[in-house]
Amino acid sequence: MNALGFDHIEALFLAPLALIPLLRSVLRETTIPSLLSAPADSLSAVARGCLKLGGVIAIGASLLGAAGPYVAGTEAERFAEGAQIVMLIDRSGSMNETLAGRTPSGSEESKAAAAKRILKRFVEARRHDLIGVAAFSTAPMLVTPITDHIDATEAAIDAIDRPGLDYTNIARGLAMALSMFKTSEADLSRAVLLISDGAGVIDPKQRDDLKAEFRKTNVSLYWLFLRTEGSRGISDQSAGDDESPQAAPERHLDLFFRSLGVPYRAFEVESAEATEEALKQIDRLERHPVRYVETMPRTDLSASAFALALVATALLIVAKLAEVGLGVNGGAR
Amino acid sequence: MNGIVDILYRPRGRFAANHVGAHVSSEVGGIGVFRDQAPFMRYPDARRIDIRATLRDPFGATYVRRFEQRASIDVYALVDLSGSMGFVGAANRFRVAVDLCAALAYSVTRVGDRFGVFSYEGALIDRSTIPATRSRRAALAAVERLGAETPRGSSAKGVLDAAAALGATRKLVFLISDFRWPEPLLEQAFDALSPHDVAPLVLIDSLESAPPKWGVLALRDSESGGRRLLVMRPALQRRWIEAEQARRRNLARLSSLRSRAPIYIEDSCDPVDLSIRLTAA
Repeated sequence: MNALGFDHIEALFLAPLALIPLLRSVLRETTIPSLLSAPADSLSAVARGCLKLGGVIAIGASLLGAAGPYVAGTEAERFAEGAQIVMLIDRSGSMNETLAGRTPSGSEESKAAAAKRILKRFVEARRHDLIGVAAFSTAPMLVTPITDHIDATEAAIDAIDRPGLDYTNIARGLAMALSMFKTSEADLSRAVLLISDGAGVIDPKQRDDLKAEFRKTNVSLYWLFLRTEGSRGISDQSAGDDESPQAAPERHLDLFFRSLGVPYRAFEVESAEATEEALKQIDRLERHPVRYVETMPRTDLSASAFALALVATALLIVAKLAEVGLGVNGGAR
Repeated sequence: MNGIVDILYRPRGRFAANHVGAHVSSEVGGIGVFRDQAPFMRYPDARRIDIRATLRDPFGATYVRRFEQRASIDVYALVDLSGSMGFVGAANRFRVAVDLCAALAYSVTRVGDRFGVFSYEGALIDRSTIPATRSRRAALAAVERLGAETPRGSSAKGVLDAAAALGATRKLVFLISDFRWPEPLLEQAFDALSPHDVAPLVLIDSLESAPPKWGVLALRDSESGGRRLLVMRPALQRRWIEAEQARRRNLARLSSLRSRAPIYIEDSCDPVDLSIRLTAA
């Protein structure tokens, strides 16, 4: 079992006060000539014990609650089937458009909404995966760390169809996604799922850094390219030979990914159905047993202690309200 | 001492006394109710020679008339000073006892009898104890001293000492207490007092026999200091009242062969009512 701790241990120094109810009655006593006249009663004896105990608990539990007890958090080892996947989602302004390159109207859905719908289904189908979510536009954002809490992941995915803004800075997004993996778990199957509708230019210095980082972490890379109708594809060869990365960023990014030396696949999709097909392929590729450590939060026990004190105090109040003496108005002194 | 009405009483049994007084006694004397005739040689009272009986006697013996001498008696109040007598309920129990003693002291000395007070708790209390005196002043002073006492004894075993101090000659004894005694002591006390004409005056309080129907009652014993919590409910109230009635029956049973029937004085003492009970044959 885990260690029990206190936030304010000094409150427990008053704990001997809890013994006072054993010495004194909470009720006002009525003096009678002789107890011989009062019949012995087992129910009353039980009630007396309960009241004594109630007094002790009321004081003791209050002090315990004030001391702020907690069970310290632990690290639990868990096993899962699947992979550690970081979804790196493009949040640039162009994701607000439909796959046809228009502002969504009527029953049409934007690329972001389609991605959300499909990713949610993907997450639900792979309940044992460890999934983290990161988003990027000009700057990367950590949305949820790698976790097996599906609810948190789904909530993160729910948030990605908020209107995006700004440009596509893939390099920094990838750097963040890679940083979410722990280096100590290099033996696990890990993958980055990049979802974007365009590519950006990665300058040569960042290329080298990313290349080194990918090699070090050994992460598979899946690029889900949501191609807008009519725009350039990944493999579209341009007319001239002397094309620059600025002219065809998708193609050059693809070439860069291929040169990384890690498992890499690009899926170029032009419709929601094609996207699902691509995800199914990823699903098939990434299935391995995973062992991971999850940190459990500490459990705060003061609420339970206060609840116990409340119950005991209520019992005492009931007894106090029911208190009577002999005679009409309290009777004998 | 205003408003005190005489408490009348009639002793039971034959009292031996040297003083002429108001009550029937076993003494024979020259005046009073005719008792019998005795030979002059046995009762040489020349003034009471019964001429008719003397002449009628074939052997010529002289006879004397004898009369029942009315005598004064000794009356004692034995007052319990144990803690339970300090109970204040509908009435202040000790106050009732002291007032009763004062009334007795006044009435007893007025009729020519001697009055004494013994007070006791665990033992006899000398301060407020006075042997029988014919002086009303001394008797009332003794009662006043008694009133200055505080009942706080933890037992009433002193009643046995008081009984021993009374001696063997028959006396009228008012045993004033609430009789919240353990049963063995009750039995011993009635045994020890059996040579005397004992009138147990039982002080009871209307609150004692009227417990509440519902509620939580925390009780403390006035003598032992013991505590008891009672969760009152109709069944328990009934048991309480039954226990009280059983106590009275028990007291009546214990006193039946050794003394008069107990006289219950609830809350306050009515001298007329008490007189009727004390003079009943």
